[in-house]
Amino acid sequence: MGKKINKQADADLVRDLKRGDPAAMEEIVKRYSNKVYNLAYHLTRDAHAAEEIMQDVFLTVIAKIGTLTTEAYFSTWLYRVTTNAAYGYLRKEKKFSEQTPVEDIDQEQYLDYDWSTLPDDVLLSEESKEVLRESIDSLPEAMRTVVVLKDVEGLKNEEIAETLGISVPAVKSRLHRGRLILRQLLSEYFSKYTEPSGEEK
Amino acid sequence: MNCKLCSALFQEFLEDSLSEELIVEVQDHIRTCSKCRVSLRTYTLTVTLSRKVDPPCCVSPETLDRLKKIIRERLLKTNGVPV
Repeated sequence: MGKKINKQADADLVRDLKRGDPAAMEEIVKRYSNKVYNLAYHLTRDAHAAEEIMQDVFLTVIAKIGTLTTEAYFSTWLYRVTTNAAYGYLRKEKKFSEQTPVEDIDQEQYLDYDWSTLPDDVLLSEESKEVLRESIDSLPEAMRTVVVLKDVEGLKNEEIAETLGISVPAVKSRLHRGRLILRQLLSEYFSKYTEPSGEEK
Repeated sequence: MNCKLCSALFQEFLEDSLSEELIVEVQDHIRTCSKCRVSLRTYTLTVTLSRKVDPPCCVSPETLDRLKKIIRERLLKTNGVPV
């Protein structure tokens, strides 16, 4: 693959792929395979499923690229295809029942615990990361997807709205509620290391 | 500003998308309310830690090779173009 194609914008690659250029598809796979895999893995928490989804996604790209009218929106479209494929898997596997109902979370509990002052070796320990991963997994589907796309994958609110076919305010609402739940679950976990702040109001 | 409104604005506060007036109101509130001050700190750190969740890792070379082979076959079938 030459230098020229590496510098090509997604829109150019999509145009080339629409003309049936295999080099364009190869570059798209090179550019996006890890991103597609990571998103599928985050949404399904299953490495084998993520591989299958990745394969399905790129075959869908070949089959449906002609329907993408605005070439510049390729990455958003790709995320949407990936998200839909992951949802399809979760529905098939009936994995929704493992989610934590939002109403079970007491948002007021642990609000006084200031775990932000804990040392990095506690905050960033493998155990803490595992707790956070499990907490993200436990979010209701709609919130989990938004949290993963925003806070893990780093998409902008507008890109997430386009990917999921929802409004930007809906993205913000799901994100905020998801973060509050994660904060609550982390507070609960970190409370074993800290005492209530005791600061006077 | 009350605690409920302050908490509802955390997201926009972190994204720096609040008006000047609201930024000042949030700052004034957290200066005097320890609960919201702690709440904002831990909310911010929750976001920071989420960004540090390790990626599941990369696609293995074997998986990528298998994917490329499947794609080549599909493109050949679709376009009749040898790759």
